[in-house]
This record gives sequence, structure tokens and C-alpha cells, in this order.
Amino acid sequence: MTTTPQQKTPGKPATPVRTASGRQGAARSDSRIFGGVSNTVLAIWAIIVIAPIIWVFLSSFKNTEEIFNSPWTLPGSLRFDNWARAWSKAHVGRYFLNSVLVVSLSTFGTMLLGSMAAYVLARYKFIGNRPIYYMFVSGLAFPVFLALVPLFFVVKNLGLLNTYQGLILVYIAYSLPFTVFFMHSFFKTLPNAVAEAAMIDGAGHAKLFFRVMLPMAKPGLVSIGIFNILGQWAQYLLPVVLLSSAKDKWVLTQGIADISVNAGYEADWSGLFAALSIAILPMILMYALLQRQIQAGLTAGAVK
Amino acid sequence: MVREPLPVRPSPRPVSGKRDAKHVRRVWEPYQILILTWQGGVRRLCWLPGRVTYARNLLLGSSGTFLPVKGFFSMATVSYRKATRIYPGTQKPAVDALDLEIQDGEFLVLVGPSGCGKSTSLRMLAGLEDVDQGGIYIDDRDVTNLPPKARDIAMVFQNYALYPHMTVYENMAFALKLRKTPKHEIDVRVKKAAQMLQLEDYLGRKPKALSGGQRQRVAMGRAIVREPQVFLMDEPLSNLDAKLRVQTRSQIAGLQKELGITTVYVTHDQIEAMTMGHRVAVMLDGVLQQVASPRELYDRPQNVFVAGFIGSPAMNIKKVQLNQDGAVFASLVLPLTREQLAAARAEGGDNQVIVGFRPEDCDLVSASEGGLPIEVELVEDLGAEANVYGHAAVNGSNERFVVRTDRRHMPDMGETVYIKPRVGQHHAFNAATEQRI
Repeated sequence: MTTTPQQKTPGKPATPVRTASGRQGAARSDSRIFGGVSNTVLAIWAIIVIAPIIWVFLSSFKNTEEIFNSPWTLPGSLRFDNWARAWSKAHVGRYFLNSVLVVSLSTFGTMLLGSMAAYVLARYKFIGNRPIYYMFVSGLAFPVFLALVPLFFVVKNLGLLNTYQGLILVYIAYSLPFTVFFMHSFFKTLPNAVAEAAMIDGAGHAKLFFRVMLPMAKPGLVSIGIFNILGQWAQYLLPVVLLSSAKDKWVLTQGIADISVNAGYEADWSGLFAALSIAILPMILMYALLQRQIQAGLTAGAVK
Repeated sequence: MVREPLPVRPSPRPVSGKRDAKHVRRVWEPYQILILTWQGGVRRLCWLPGRVTYARNLLLGSSGTFLPVKGFFSMATVSYRKATRIYPGTQKPAVDALDLEIQDGEFLVLVGPSGCGKSTSLRMLAGLEDVDQGGIYIDDRDVTNLPPKARDIAMVFQNYALYPHMTVYENMAFALKLRKTPKHEIDVRVKKAAQMLQLEDYLGRKPKALSGGQRQRVAMGRAIVREPQVFLMDEPLSNLDAKLRVQTRSQIAGLQKELGITTVYVTHDQIEAMTMGHRVAVMLDGVLQQVASPRELYDRPQNVFVAGFIGSPAMNIKKVQLNQDGAVFASLVLPLTREQLAAARAEGGDNQVIVGFRPEDCDLVSASEGGLPIEVELVEDLGAEANVYGHAAVNGSNERFVVRTDRRHMPDMGETVYIKPRVGQHHAFNAATEQRI
């Protein structure tokens, strides 16, 4: 981390070794300053991100009184009943499973279709390749609110309103542009010779894709997969529109909103925080576990 | 370097894969029918080649020899017939009407400077590059428009192109798996190939955990386990360091000799070409210049380009005036025959001739013996001998010369030495056509 600023400092090309240690020393202190600054910025950023999460976690063990009277202290005792209440009484458990079902199927569909489309667009030449690619990419610039009303009627006419399938299909369509955009550039970087070797080894187009190119694109798949899971897990607007009248099929975000909206006179704040924690936890765990996969350079050793 | 002719096989080898099942002329051997019956089911006909090799390995496996016996299974001939490749958006063909016949079991090296079309020629044979005109035949089977997987070839790439997500074992087994070869046969073949290439200890590793030389061997192994009709190698040694390159060079040549599989090898390194090839094809600007054995290529280059390209240091090639006896090198006259003189004057030769002599084909003589006086600029002491670089005035211009000499007679820099090409060891070319005369 500390060496990058040194390399990027403008007007300071790598000093030859023999031109005295003075300059090198200057560069090193430079880098120390930059390293210090960047570390400070990162530390502040980390606090900004982590503090609210910790606060939510702590609050999920408090009761309503503690939340309002001593928001900055530790909970008086670990009240797991908040979590239990949220899980069963507020039906967060059910919504959680709904979310898992919808997000896993839609992420799978997104990854499969997105990587297939990106692969063909990136590695095969055919008439209409660029227009199709640009159509996918233009989907990135399309605000979801603009599509909401027509989308509602399309889904309704297809008879998919208030169904998991409808929501899953919309999620897939909604996630495809960025997935295709990302995987397109990833497939472009894969070495051509490996594909040629597989073709000579007897692989057809399908085998080439599923057994050679897709495994090689694994780092890209993992990052875009996490991105899609996070995005779809936190999606609120689309389920509200498409699952509004089927409460048993609600996803987690709707359930949490429900707790805070249906508060009435005495809101269940601790239950809300517990529900939030339940929603946040799997994402943090997943990121922590897959982090190394994202960084792994899987193509190392392919060529040369 | 004259190769013995390989035994002519009685019947063509059944071409592998079900794709060709319809139009392949098959002559069933009794043992094949036996195996078929044993395997049972007409459906199995499609997978015959795999079954046959399996049976062969059973036959030979017990004795511990895996190497295919020459002639037991025929390999294949390769023919380029006026094969031409014009890249889209260019006028000039990258490969121009290439005519080349490669014998069964032959090791043919394609050599030339970069951009001469040698790699393109190989990729056309592999099916990775379109053929715009003409055709390519493997064993008289027109493969011009077949996809790579239908050609029964294996290729070793310059950068190896290993599958990074597979172990060494899986890399080698991949092609066999795609052909639905039985598991235990895959195992036998991969293990044997690994043994040949000293890769047994690395079968469980991924390519990124291997050194360059090991990766190169895995790429070779991937080709060997296939037992294809033709091996294609595209500069497989150029990413190795110098010492390993020399070592691997002889290993590949030995391996090819053992397996007896027709091999086309592309390189820009003329030493590789000369040391490995049974025959060498020299290319320039997409045009085949000469195909011959290394000795023939060295002793009788067909044109000025081949003369200058083959041999290191390069041949001394100069354009000089003719007189009635031969070529005039200032004070020196290199004698030419009457036919050579006539040929030199024909086709716009304009009373000039191009003459070449190799650095080792001349002697350093004393001033009185009538040599060409040369002022020495540089002396390269190679240990066994020395290369002497110098210049001399020939017909008013300053020309550079190279002479290879014994270390005991090594001149000093700035000294003037007299060189004299040995009689009958020089090459003459028409000045206009640059063809040998």
C-alpha cells in the first residue's frame, strides 16, 4: 500500500540507484507522507462504514428504553429474545427464506445468461455484435423508475404478478446490463491461445465455454456474483411493486420496512434492529469468506 | 540426413471420431473385429479408434513399452496444395500458394524471419486460420474446411496455453476425456506420457506452480497422449532460457523419433531448424523459398535469401563484376564454370554476378598468395574457433566480410589479413533473379 503513491507521484521517475541516496530518501519520506495520508483517509472511511453496523448490532440487543436513553452504551444484557421475536413474530424468518430463494435463483440466472451473452459478444465476430452489446450497456443508464409502470403491466399481463418467477425474471433482466458489461471486458482479457488449444483438443463451442473459458473467468464471476447478490438482496423497489399483495412471498427488505411502518404508537425498535442485523449478517459473512477468491489471480500460469 | 523410408502401411488408419464414420474407407483388421465383438454393440463402432488404442495398450502395456510401434499404426502425410491465406483488409497474401508435401513420420521445420508466414501456415493446417485458396490434405483427406477438432492433430503453442484451472494430469487428460476415452485408459496414457517427460511428480499441480521448462513439457505431454496423426509445434522453445532450449531441443527431436509421428515445427531460429528437422522449409514474405534437408540447404542454397539466412555467421554475399573467367573480387577472381557464366549473363544479369562464400570456407593466407586484403574490425573468440570481422574495398565500395578461423591464427584488431575462399566452395547467383546458377 505504501509503495503505490511513490510510483504514482508525477514528475518523479524512478531514480537511478547511483544518483545518490538523498533523492531516494526524499522519495521514501514522500511515500511515508502519502502512506500516512491514505491510511488516515482509509481509517476514517472504515469508521464511517463500520460504526453504524456495530451500532445496529448493539442496538439489536437493547430494549426500546435503552435505545432512546443510552444510545452509545453497550446493552445492559444480551437480549436474544429480540432476535427470536423478529424471526418468528414479525415473520422475518419467512421473509429471509423468500429472499434466499429469490436471490439465489436470480443470481444463478443472471450469472449464467450474463456470462454466456458476454462471452459470445466478447469472443465471436458476427454482424450485429456491437449493436447488441451497446443495447446491453445502455441498460445501465436506464433509471428503474422510468420502467416501473410498464414493467408492472408487462409482468401482470404475463400472469407473473405476485409470483417468485416474475420477480426472479425481473431481477435477472435488471442485473444483466452490468453483468454483461463486466464479464465482456473480462472475457476479452483471457488468452486466445488457451481457447485455440481447447478447440484443437476437441472441444466444441459449448464445451469450450463451460469447461475452459468459464472456469478461467472465475475471479470475474465471483466478483460480479457478489455484486449481484448484494444488489438483489438489498432490492426494495421491485419487490414492492411486483409482490405487493402477496404478503407470504415478501422478501426481507419488505418485511423490515413493514416492522417500521406498522409501528403504530409503540414501535418495536429493538425488533427492527434485530431484523436489520439478520439481513446484514449473511452479506458480511459471504464477503468475508469469498474475499480471497476475488483476489486470486486464476489465470496465472496459463501462458508463458 | 537421408531418412529411411517408413514401412508402407497396408490400410489407412481409421480416422478417429464418429464425425467421419460415414465416409471413411475402413479396412477392418481381424483383431479389430475381435475387439468390436468383445466390446459388443454396433453403437461402439463410432468409438473404434479409442477402443483400438486401448487394446493396443493392453497388448504392449504388460511389457512396459507404451511407445507406438512404427508402422503398426500409420501416421499421416500432410500436403499443402497451393494453400493461400489473405488476411481481411490486406492485399498481399500472408501465405502465397504454398505447395508442400510432408512425408509420413517426417519432422519438417518451417523457418523464416518474423512475418514470413510460417506460423500462419501452421495455423492453417491446425484449422485456426482460414484457407482462402487452395487446400490442405492430411493423408489425402481434404481438411481445408474442417474445424480443428475434426483434424486429429495436436499442437504445442509458443506460450504453452495450458488450462490454468486444471492440474497437470487434467491438462493432459482433457482431450481424451472429450473423446470419451475410458477412464483407466486415460490413466494409463497420461501416466506413461508423464513418465516419458519426467512429470510424474507434478501431476497434481496446477500450471502456475510449475517452472517454464515444466510447463513446456506439460504442453508436450498434452500433445503426446492424444497420439494424433500430426504434431504441430509453434516455436515451443522460444520462452525457455538458452541452456534449457538446447536440452529440450534434443529431447523433442528424440521424442519425435521414438513416436514416429509426422511433425510440423515452426521456428525463427535457424539452428533449431538445422538440428531438428529431417527437412527444412525456408519461407520469406509468404513464399516458400526452398525445402531440403539441412545439409542440402547449407551446401546448395537455391537463392540469395536462403544462402544468407542459413548459417551463422551469415555467408559473405557480394554483387561483383564478371570477367571471362569468373567473378572479380578486386585482386581476386573466383572461377566460375562456362555454364555458370552463361547463366549469370542471362535474364538481365548485366555482366554482374552475386557470389557468396561461407566464413568457414576460406583461409587466411599471406600477402603473396593473392588473397583479398581485409582490415580487421572485430574478433570474436568462441573458444573452439574465432570469427574475424573486417572490411575491404571491393569495386570502389567498402564491403564487410566475416571469416571463421582457427584460434591459433587469430589476428589482432586493426591488422590487415588476406582471405582466400577455397576453390569450389563458393556459391554463385544470378544478379537479377537471385537464383542459384
